[in-house]
Order: sequence, then structure tokens, then C-alpha cells
Amino acid sequence: MDDRSSLQNIIECLIFISKHPLTIQEISEFLKDVEKKEITAALDELQKRWEDMGRSFVLGSVAEGYQFRTRPEYSQYIVEFNKEIKKFRLSKAALEVLAIVAYKQPVTKIEVEKIRGVDCSSSVSILLERRFIEIAGRKEVPGKPFLYRTTNLFLETFGLKDLKDLPTVKEIEKIKEDFKEPE
Amino acid sequence: MEDPQSAYSVQLEIFNGPLDLLLHLIKKHEVDIYDIPIALITEQYLEYLDFLKDVNLEIVGDYMSMAAELGYIKSRMLLPRIKEEGEEEEEDPREELVRRLLEYEKYRDAAAELGTMEILGKDVFLAGYDRREMFGEPAEETEFVKFDLWSLVDAFSKICEDTKKAETKEISLTPQTYTVEERKNQIIEIMRSKKEVLFGDLFEGDKNRMNLVVTFLSILELLKDGMLNVFQPTFEEPIKITLREENGR
Repeated sequence: MDDRSSLQNIIECLIFISKHPLTIQEISEFLKDVEKKEITAALDELQKRWEDMGRSFVLGSVAEGYQFRTRPEYSQYIVEFNKEIKKFRLSKAALEVLAIVAYKQPVTKIEVEKIRGVDCSSSVSILLERRFIEIAGRKEVPGKPFLYRTTNLFLETFGLKDLKDLPTVKEIEKIKEDFKEPE
Repeated sequence: MEDPQSAYSVQLEIFNGPLDLLLHLIKKHEVDIYDIPIALITEQYLEYLDFLKDVNLEIVGDYMSMAAELGYIKSRMLLPRIKEEGEEEEEDPREELVRRLLEYEKYRDAAAELGTMEILGKDVFLAGYDRREMFGEPAEETEFVKFDLWSLVDAFSKICEDTKKAETKEISLTPQTYTVEERKNQIIEIMRSKKEVLFGDLFEGDKNRMNLVVTFLSILELLKDGMLNVFQPTFEEPIKITLREENGR
């Protein structure tokens, strides 16, 4: 076996046993003698190989790391086979709060409520419990409210590489310009 | 007769607050968001609010303040706009609302977008996912669904309905009744021997409405006294009750 494929295999088995998406940082801390460049190249090659093999799972890039994940087309078999499996569930309201936190972080609960026009306390506590968001500190305003931000588990759950990987939202155009004078 | 309550609660689910409702009305009437016919939209909004009334006070509160805001905008639109000399052109009274609507719409769409991603636990899975401690441990304490008095009332009304069906078949001339005090003691006894009981099971022996109400009141009082814990692991599962650990031991 040549060096290149054995490096790939070593990295592959580390990812395979890892509980969380394994980062390049973690791999290179372990493989001290290998250059980061080489690790990145090996990871790219690994991803391509798994993709090309057309298996039921792929090597995904999520939460700034690498993780083996099943392809979405097999979800029905998985859920049917294991009825006890913990399924993802989130209300529309909680998903809205999560989206606002994701795009505006760090953000306070009051700021989220201002955007949604409704009380968001229960959604915020559900998201905290599920560890999709966490406290990022306090805002230096009267009352020092908590600031919230999203977690790595959020990125992992939604299959996002990092926060820049969030779907782009259309920016609000300058309203004043578009605003028509009433007749 | 059909239960009007259930018809309402279905409607309630549709909108995620006043802004969501307004966006819906704007879309439904195909009006320009930058030139909202305030009178029409306000009228429609209030109609819906009427519909919501006496269903869920907590939710209606959020909708009320928007109704007031709409009324205010409407009145400002009706007033003649006097431009004083040297004064900047007056802002359209609807502008602030439009800004909020667009801002909210942006995040509402973003949330919908997030919901279509390949989500872990829904679309994609990991090796050993079923054994994974994903969503906040320990599961025992933190994973429960948040619920309020309404959930209990809801569960209670379901029990009442079920009992009503059974009641007609079995008419007892001397119904056995007990007081709240007595029932409270009985419940404590049951809880001591069983540790964890389904909310519905506490009503098992109650064949008539009177006893059902007494049991429900007893549970509420025990909750208030801090004697019981009540929780619901997930929305699909029934409400459970446990005895609260006695303090000072």
C-alpha cells in the first residue's frame, strides 16, 4: 500500500470512530509529522472516493469537520427499521427563532421577539435544551439580557459546513426608495 | 354538536403570530406590500382576531397590540397631512410596519429554507445514531416537552369526553363521591405505591362527572402545594405524574 492511500485510511478510521465531526485541526494535532496540506488533500480524495462508490452513505463536511452520513434517500428504511430512533422534531415557531438566531447572532430574546412579533420564551428554552443554541454572554444594555448564538450541533444537524454555509437570505432593499407615495 | 374548540385550535396553528397573519392577508388579496390598503387589511385582521377570541388568551394578546397599531395607522392615514414650511416630508405612517413585515418575511423564508436541508435525524443518519446522546443529556431531565395549564385542561377534557360515552350505559343511583381532601390523600397513597402514574390513570375509577372534577381539582391542588411533578416526555406521549421528593430529608 502506498503512503497516500494509507494516510487516507488512517484518517478514515479516525473519522469512522469519532463521536462528532472530526476537524482538520484534530487530525493534524494527532498526525504531527504530516503537513496540513496533505491532510486536506487526503480528505478531499476520501470524500471523492466515497461519493464515487455510490454507497448508502457519504463522507460529509459538516460543522467544520468530517462525518460519515447516510444519503437522504435511505431515511425511510432507517426510520422504519428502527422505530425507537430519535427523530428530529422542531415546531415551525422554534425553527423561525433558530433561523433568526443563526443569521443575527449574537442576539437577545427581545430582539428575536421584535422580529417575530410574538413571545418566544418557550421556543428559546426548547432550543437551549436541544443544544441548538447557547448563551454567548450578556448584552451591555440595561437589564443585561442574555445573548444567544448557534452551536456546532446546530451546524451538524442541518448539515452545514459553517455559518457562512447558511442559505442566503434576500437582503431587504432600501424600503424608502421602493416606497410609493400614497395617492 | 361539534366541539367548536377543536375547530379553532386547528386554525390557530396556521399563523405564527400577527406578522405572519398580515403577510398572509397581503398575499391573499394580492396587494402591493409597499402600498397596503390599510382599511381592508385591518378589517380582515380584526375578523380573524374575532375568530381567535376566547380561544387562547395568551396568543390573542400578541395579536391585540398589532390590531391597535393597525388602527393607529388607519387613523393617521385619514388625517389630512399638513406640511409645515421647512419641514421634511412626512413619513408614510405605514413605513415602519412594512419594514417589520419585510424583515419578518426574510427570516420566515430562511426558516423554511432551513427546514428543507438534509437534517440529521430526519433525512440523514450516522453510524450508531440510535445510541447517540444527541439532544441534550441527561434525557430524563431536559428533554421534556414544555407545557402549561392548557395541556392539562386539554387532557382533562379528553378524559371527560371518554367518560361521557361510558356514562350513558351505566347509571348508578347512589354514585360514590368523595371530597377534594379525601381524594388528595388517595392520590398521595397511589403515588407512594406507584412512583410514576399516567395522568389519565388517576381518573380510572371515576365514573361520573362529579368525581372527575374532584380528581382534577385534587391534582391541581397537589401541584400547587408542590407535592407532585407533572411532565410530558414528548408530544406523542401521555402526561405523567410523579411524587415530588420530600424536602428536608
